[in-house]
Amino acid sequence: MNNDLIIEGLTKKFATSASVAISDVNLIVKEGQFTTLLGPSGCGKSTTLNCVAGLEEPTAGSICIGDFVMTDTARGLILPPEQRHLGMVFQSYALWPHMKVFDNVAFALKLQKRPSDEIKQRVHESLALVGLEDLSDRYPFQLSGGQQQRVALARAVVSRPKVLLLDEPLSNLDAKIRENARVWLRGLQQQLGITTVYVTHDQAEAFAMSDMIAVMSMGKLQQYAPPEEIYERPANRFVAEFIGVTSFITGTIQKVDSQQITLKLASGELLNIHKENRPDQKWKQGDQVPVAIRSERVEVISGGASSRENTIKAHIANRTYLGSKWQYSVETAGGSLRLESTDAIHGDNLFMVLPPDSIILLAE
Amino acid sequence: MTSAVQETPRPLAPKIFRWDTALQWAVVIITFVLVIFPAWPIVYQSFMDKPLYEKDTAFTFGNYTHILSDPHFWHVLIYTLAFAVMSTIIAGFIGIALAIFINRTNMPLREFFSNLVTIPYYVSPLVLAFAWIEMYGPQGFGTIVIRALRIPTWQLYSFWGIVVVAAMYYVPYTFLYASSSLALADAQLESAARIGGASPFRTILTITVPLLRPAIIYSALLTLVSALELLSIPLLLGNSVGIETLSTYLYTIGMVGVNKDQGAVAAVALLVVILVTGMVYLQGKLTSMERRFVTVGGKATRPKLLDLGGWKGVVAFFIGLYVLLGIILPLACVVLDSFVSFLSPFMNPLKILTLNNYRGIFDTPAYREAVVNSINISIFAAAIGILFMAIAALTAYRSSFKGREAVKYMALYPRAFPGIIVSIGFLWAFVLLPGIGSLRNTIIAISIAFIMRYLPLGFSAISPAVLQVSDELDRAGRVAGATWMQTIRHILLPILRPAILSGYILLAISFLKEYSTALFLVSKGSNVIGTTMLELWKQGGAEPVAALSTIQMAITAALIIASRKLLGVKLHE
Repeated sequence: MNNDLIIEGLTKKFATSASVAISDVNLIVKEGQFTTLLGPSGCGKSTTLNCVAGLEEPTAGSICIGDFVMTDTARGLILPPEQRHLGMVFQSYALWPHMKVFDNVAFALKLQKRPSDEIKQRVHESLALVGLEDLSDRYPFQLSGGQQQRVALARAVVSRPKVLLLDEPLSNLDAKIRENARVWLRGLQQQLGITTVYVTHDQAEAFAMSDMIAVMSMGKLQQYAPPEEIYERPANRFVAEFIGVTSFITGTIQKVDSQQITLKLASGELLNIHKENRPDQKWKQGDQVPVAIRSERVEVISGGASSRENTIKAHIANRTYLGSKWQYSVETAGGSLRLESTDAIHGDNLFMVLPPDSIILLAE
Repeated sequence: MTSAVQETPRPLAPKIFRWDTALQWAVVIITFVLVIFPAWPIVYQSFMDKPLYEKDTAFTFGNYTHILSDPHFWHVLIYTLAFAVMSTIIAGFIGIALAIFINRTNMPLREFFSNLVTIPYYVSPLVLAFAWIEMYGPQGFGTIVIRALRIPTWQLYSFWGIVVVAAMYYVPYTFLYASSSLALADAQLESAARIGGASPFRTILTITVPLLRPAIIYSALLTLVSALELLSIPLLLGNSVGIETLSTYLYTIGMVGVNKDQGAVAAVALLVVILVTGMVYLQGKLTSMERRFVTVGGKATRPKLLDLGGWKGVVAFFIGLYVLLGIILPLACVVLDSFVSFLSPFMNPLKILTLNNYRGIFDTPAYREAVVNSINISIFAAAIGILFMAIAALTAYRSSFKGREAVKYMALYPRAFPGIIVSIGFLWAFVLLPGIGSLRNTIIAISIAFIMRYLPLGFSAISPAVLQVSDELDRAGRVAGATWMQTIRHILLPILRPAILSGYILLAISFLKEYSTALFLVSKGSNVIGTTMLELWKQGGAEPVAALSTIQMAITAALIIASRKLLGVKLHE
């Protein structure tokens, strides 16, 4: 029997306004997988997570783990959170301030009326798992942020839930600690093999930890794929724009063949684009289309024009020194573009190459 | 895996019955019943031509036409409004000035004065009125001394006498609201004005005072509403010279007992409720419009105190004079009077010291019972009350229950019911509803009426604390497997303990000094201190009243000190 988390047709409307918080979200999180819900604030990622936890009631849709149905609005079933047997870590960690670390972690087991020996042992195991077995007598306010976050995690996994929900648990940590916590958290998740749903607006976190990323915007699921695919083949303009530093160039399709498309810019410059990442789309000659390119893929040619494929002319409008690199804003015949380089570019005019396999065709 | 997931077969429908929902329903129903119980007989009676317990009552507008065409009613109404407005203005000015001088300047003895000026807040207005009579009444200690010096004296039994004593009673309202608003204000706002070139004094006038506007408006309307329904001060000071306000008017006709004017009483009561509802509504509107004054709070930086220079002694002198003449001397007079056989400036009190007044109280069963009843009510009824109010606040702000909005409104609505009207309403309801008449004259009935009357106080004492607790804490409890009730019990109530304790003390003090809500519900064996004091006052004995007042103040002081020392309760921020 598998224990995939299956979300089908999840929709939530707000009672007070006509707008929809989330609309028709479908997701399958395979057992043991780490899935991240990624998107800007207000995109519906937290609402989705709260619907899974039972903290919010969806207007429509179903949520189940394997054949354990937690929500099925068609049958009028919405289990309250306490009957779902989940683990959850909150953004503020939500450690109960009046309980010691031990009691925080033991709370769920006490509610289940487990024998006290078992409670002691399991709390100890959980705290050992996060490396805090010595702090069980402390109160939450006596812990550092990082320690609190780990207690919250120990508390979430102590009752051995099938699914672990994490709501931006790293966002309150300092930048330095956060990067270590990322690695540590992913390691722990793999060690436990626990199905995990993680909510964040931080791309770096999403890419560093996830098996799968679900990009959300305006209450809709935009793309659900492994990290590499999200980066290399964004499903639409939103995903392309949201992930990484991306620029868009607009041109007219001049030629379509089985391997590639040729785009003509306003200046007459031609760009060849590999079609491999969009074999399913139909392109017609004469269509005006935008294409996306990641700024780090743009190659700057020093020393005049070159004969390389996809070389275009550009004019530097703005330059910013970031320490480890330079960031330039340049004007081309296809629109303005951002590019990054470790070298300082002298002069205001330059040539650059947009490699054919790095230009992203977007489905409209 | 030992998780219960495997043992749970696919649930096909949610459980129909949940204890959580049952408790939430109970809260809604109890709140509703508490509010409706005293209200319906008044509404009903006001449209009936005969007292409700008589047969063949018929619908009529007669009570209203009768009242509204009675010039006496209009006279009383205008007099009441004038009195309430004047005392609000005076109390407001004194309260704000005190708040600024005590919180924002370097005058001496700030902490000391800060405690003293709030004393009237903890004293029953009945006691304060009595204290002023003892000191400044026609035969008052102070009046006689002044008269003996052949200096012209004043007439305390007058419109302005009532206004001044009521203002004294309400100063702490404005003072406390303005002080806590000053404590929350961001010092950076004042620093910015200083850097912009404003002098310290100008900064206070142009930045600090305007920022107090929400607190001023809020406390002014609170004072106004409270003054409209104030019974004791106009009764004690105005009765003998024929001055009437709406509440003394209701008291006088109501106290006559069974009378055929019951319809008129109900009509006046309902008109008062409508008037006060309007005020309360206005208060809500104005307060929400004042949101623009809410600054980003939580800054720990304390603003610099304004240097008064050579004036600081003068300011301290006048504040000291105010405290001495307005609060300390009158109350001291009461305490002294309770220990002598007769208080007079011409007799050495040490020669006539006696405990007879207290003996008189404790040897008379009716009086002793009143003290015991008051203590019991303020310990037990306040405990039950605050617990219910806490659960009501949690239902209103921390549940997904459909009726939670209704709980908020219902719990705050008794603010529109003056104590004397609650008392009349409860009396009639107990008389009219079959089966509960036997409760009418018990301390249970009085406790229920007190809880209803102070629902808004307890509810709004706890609500801000509830809103300050992150809802992630209860969400975490639910996800960990706790039902809503378990979350309340194990997580929210323990976290809210300080707020509930200070709410409890506040409620206990209020119950101890409350009298108007009990007026029509007391009888032999179920008197409370306040109603007994009124009765003794009517009989004309000042010394027994003084003894009861002293007992009430002593219990209140003990409550406050014990709660501070033992429980660390702070009644005000």
